[in-house]
Amino acid sequence: MSPPIPYVNSADLHALLPTTVIAAAGLLALVVDLFMSAGRARRWIAVAIAAAGLVIAGVLTAQQYGHSYPAFGGAYMQGGFAVVLGEIAIFATLVSLGLGIGIGRDDQVAGTTAIVLWSTCGALLMAGAGNLMMIFLGLELLSLGLYCLCAMSVRSAARESGLKYLLLSSMASGFLLYGMALLFGGTGSVALAAISAAPPSPLIALGAGLFLVGIAFKLSLVPFHSWTPDVYEGAPLSVTAYMSVVTKAGALGVLGRFAYAALPPATANAILLPVWTVAAISMIVGNLAALQQIDMKRLLAYSGIGQVGYIVAAFAGQTPLGLRYAIFYLAAYTFMNLGAFAVVALMLKDADGSLGVGAFAGLAYRRPWLAAAMTFFLLSLAGLPPTAGFTGKILILASSVGAGYWWLSVLLIAGTAISVYVYFKIVRAMFVRVDEAHVRAERSTNPLPWISIAVCAAAVFVLGIYPLAPSDIIPLAK
Amino acid sequence: MTPYGPVAIYLAVALAAALLFTVLPGLMAQRKPNAVKSEAYECGVEPTSDVSGRFPVRFYLIAMLFVVFDVEAASFYPWAVQMHQLRVFGLLEMIVFVIVLGIGYAYVWKRGGFQWR
Repeated sequence: MSPPIPYVNSADLHALLPTTVIAAAGLLALVVDLFMSAGRARRWIAVAIAAAGLVIAGVLTAQQYGHSYPAFGGAYMQGGFAVVLGEIAIFATLVSLGLGIGIGRDDQVAGTTAIVLWSTCGALLMAGAGNLMMIFLGLELLSLGLYCLCAMSVRSAARESGLKYLLLSSMASGFLLYGMALLFGGTGSVALAAISAAPPSPLIALGAGLFLVGIAFKLSLVPFHSWTPDVYEGAPLSVTAYMSVVTKAGALGVLGRFAYAALPPATANAILLPVWTVAAISMIVGNLAALQQIDMKRLLAYSGIGQVGYIVAAFAGQTPLGLRYAIFYLAAYTFMNLGAFAVVALMLKDADGSLGVGAFAGLAYRRPWLAAAMTFFLLSLAGLPPTAGFTGKILILASSVGAGYWWLSVLLIAGTAISVYVYFKIVRAMFVRVDEAHVRAERSTNPLPWISIAVCAAAVFVLGIYPLAPSDIIPLAK
Repeated sequence: MTPYGPVAIYLAVALAAALLFTVLPGLMAQRKPNAVKSEAYECGVEPTSDVSGRFPVRFYLIAMLFVVFDVEAASFYPWAVQMHQLRVFGLLEMIVFVIVLGIGYAYVWKRGGFQWR
């Protein structure tokens, strides 16, 4: 008889406890909904169960801070930056669910809430993934849920969004999987650590290239970004807000661990140079394309492409500080982006609708507080003080200059200059007096986005004036 | 690259065989078509319409549910093969799996997913 397989121990299960709690909250939301009568109360109960689960998972994740442990034989790396990325994903899920109190019709909310929670589980697994299998498992768990969520609306644009995302994302998963197969062929192991230990070979270089194409698709970096505006525009607002942060948090976790821990130091720079190039193109093209958008969701999609370019640029040269600064900027992006989405949600009567840039005309005179909040978030997205966006960009510039990537820094500044124009077009529109009869002014009856706005604005401000925070609070990858 | 040699040979043989079996009959066959031979090869009655017609969306629901539960049932097999080695841990894992599966089943049932309407 063969010797017993080394089973999991309680520390392994403890590492996955936050994920388990979120998954269980999804099941609970489904079961409770079965015994509810029709009505609006169903929405609130499903979202309340999800919120409770997310808060508990957030606390549990926070307790893992500083306790690094390779669970399941290194498949899931507890602690390290997985904690920060996990908190970002959990916070973004909470805010997204609040934007429209769940997604879809009253009788669909329990189902969609469960799917959102399970997708978040996928993002958490990706953030902590220590081997190729776990990366793929997390990615598919995240993506499968999103295919359904994108189509969760009666509008035909939503169907288009879901189908487009399904087809293109499956294609990217194919690239990723093929890359993983070659990496496995080259090293004989699925563990990321084994890749850096293996002697350099063409198989590893090719595998890493295909793998990075798949990840660049999920991050919507420029040559692989064409799906983003269409999918963001068609999907319900809550789903767009969710995708813009949670998928990025998961994919950046994978990219960070791959760039820092998996590639052999000798060849890492050559393998990763295309990634920095792609990030640089994203900063320019994303912001240039955002100039022409008249739909708010499309504009935020293109601006997100530029922002992800900045974040990936922080990895250039794989300096330890770069990783911290990338995560800091991701946190800043989370707050300013979700804040902007919450403002958009408050300007829609139906959380399912779309909002043109024209709706912002004269907003400062109709709803001054909302305009003030939007201005603050746009300032941060543009990277002006005293906001987190400014601090984050300074840190990324410091990192890329320190690593010797001058050209990347120059392009980052050029991209920022273009983006200022993009965001200030909206700011200007808000402060210009217009005839109210020409503006389609809607209001949401849902008070929850105000809470998100308050939290996000406070976070953007605090992260902006306390720039020493990232190097102190964000631990390293290993 | 040596371990991949057999894979390359396998691919080459598969490609050659596929080409051989599809191209060669076309080149060697004698053609004497008549009305009966040109009919669609079907048992029984003549097809009356195009096969790619529309059919109700509820078939998709049933098909989807079948695939979901079929695949989940298939995950019992690896556990059953290794049941004695996995001992209590495997049993507990499987109980959790069955509970999750059961909740999904109850949800579909209660929401009327099994009704033909």
